Amino acid sequence: MRVEYINPFVEAAFNVLREVLSEEVKRGELYLKSTSQPVLGVAAIVGLTGDVEGRVLFDMKKEVALAIASEMNGEELKTMDDLAKATISELANMITGQAVTKLHDLGFKFDLTPPAIITGDNMEVSNTGVEALIVPVELKAGKIEINVAVRERA
Amino acid sequence: MSTISDELKQEEAEKVENIDYKMVTFSLAGKDYGIDIMKVKEISKAKRFTFVPNADPFVRGVYNLRGDIISIIDLRIMFNLPAPKREENSFEDMIILRLEDYLIGVIVDSIDKVVGINSESIQPPHPIFGDINIKFIKGVVENEGRLYLILDVEKILGDSSREEEAAPQPQLVKEPVRQPEAEQDEAEKAGEADYAFVVENLLTFKNFHVTEYNRNWVRSRFQEWKQLRSKEGAEIQLQEEEDAVRFLQPFYAPYSGGFWGGDYCSNVKEVLKQLQVQGNLMVWNPGCGAGYETYSLAVILRENFPNSQLKIWAHDNDLLNISTAPNLVFKPADVPDNFLDFTVEGKNGLQFNKEIRDAIFFEFHNVLHSNPFPDVDLIVARDILSFQKEDEQYKLVQEFAEKLKPGGVLILGKNEEIVSELFDDISSGMVKAYRKR
Repeated sequence: MRVEYINPFVEAAFNVLREVLSEEVKRGELYLKSTSQPVLGVAAIVGLTGDVEGRVLFDMKKEVALAIASEMNGEELKTMDDLAKATISELANMITGQAVTKLHDLGFKFDLTPPAIITGDNMEVSNTGVEALIVPVELKAGKIEINVAVRERA
Repeated sequence: MSTISDELKQEEAEKVENIDYKMVTFSLAGKDYGIDIMKVKEISKAKRFTFVPNADPFVRGVYNLRGDIISIIDLRIMFNLPAPKREENSFEDMIILRLEDYLIGVIVDSIDKVVGINSESIQPPHPIFGDINIKFIKGVVENEGRLYLILDVEKILGDSSREEEAAPQPQLVKEPVRQPEAEQDEAEKAGEADYAFVVENLLTFKNFHVTEYNRNWVRSRFQEWKQLRSKEGAEIQLQEEEDAVRFLQPFYAPYSGGFWGGDYCSNVKEVLKQLQVQGNLMVWNPGCGAGYETYSLAVILRENFPNSQLKIWAHDNDLLNISTAPNLVFKPADVPDNFLDFTVEGKNGLQFNKEIRDAIFFEFHNVLHSNPFPDVDLIVARDILSFQKEDEQYKLVQEFAEKLKPGGVLILGKNEEIVSELFDDISSGMVKAYRKR
């Protein structure tokens, strides 16, 4: 993954999370992964296209997703209902959108696809032919893993 | 006599009757090829293809065929065959193929004619045909004294991911057979034990794996080390990380972690004389660190191949190091004089100009993962093998062999070596280099 792409994603994740949750967020060590990996329970996925092809996956446990959705809506949500799902996909959209805007300013042209939410137990995501950059983010409620897999269009 | 010729004529006639396979024949670099006519939609002449940025080098662009937009592939570039120089805007011969679900145009030197044959006379391909990877050849057929190679267009231009799954990857580099240690006398055994400790400590302290690619150096360095340590009255074994660092000091390639000096540059230039480049020049630089090596390389390549399109993929899995690479700043005194032509004055110091920087893709990437970019002409992998696990070293060398185009050049660290029937040693001075056969 091109070095220029990394920072916009990390920064966008921080800005947006700090803003919507009004709390300090901590970043874990970035690393690369190529094999398939388990999904924690709730995954929001946003596709990228343009100069690159790939996707950004926001992966978290159900409790974390509910805590974030509750905070963002200002009310206590108990189940992963439509409102909670819409909130998480909006979060994914905000972060990816901001990252893409930053990249645009640097001269890279990306487009987004609408986010999709996937929930369930015991799921895995595999990246064939491209490795993923994992940005772990620590929140009060728990951990979100932002999994960015993009590659240059060959 | 007449009966024999009659028989021959009759046989001939039978053969003609049995024509059940027609192919469009054409030539590429002086050799004759055929494509199944059922795959061919039409042939035509065309010019002025619309260039598609960021596409593979063999993609010439897209073309408007009476309202349908089709992609145009240049078979000569795809197969690394020489393409004759042609005038700007002259018409080129093009075969339009109908594959499963799309049309695609391929450019060839010249289209010949349609030849009808009996499909039973198609012989399986023989590796001797060389130029084109054998898996792309469906068979060979003789017609009127000429041999035609029949190309399997589905395999060449079809969905490559499906094909890769089906065909097991050929093992390009054999894993070496580990030879049982020969019998040794007692004294040697004691020395061997020390050696084994050193090997182990190199692994613990510096993650340095001793394998066939560097064993010769480690052996000779061990002898030197023994003398050095006995003179100093110190233990032979590497007690702490500092010792390991000292042991490995002469291992690294010259100018590791800095810009290359003029002497090393001229050695590299000597090696690059062996490299034939047409049009695009693709380079892979795994383990590029903070980018000093990559920029030095880019400058050398720009000087040596001023007319080719340069593209360098530079990879490292150390995030901190590689993050600084795209915007590397330095002082004029840090670089050899000839580098200065390629620099501009920035806010914080000297930087490389846009032309050089645009040629390089710095990526945070682990080379042991899949490497999704086209085949390359040159790989510069200095001192990266030795710091991978043993089986991963073999895997990486195999990956190098697969990623290099035939005739491509691989540059390793000064003290690393590959012995393989796939490579010719073309080292020069301080540069250890190999050319793929």
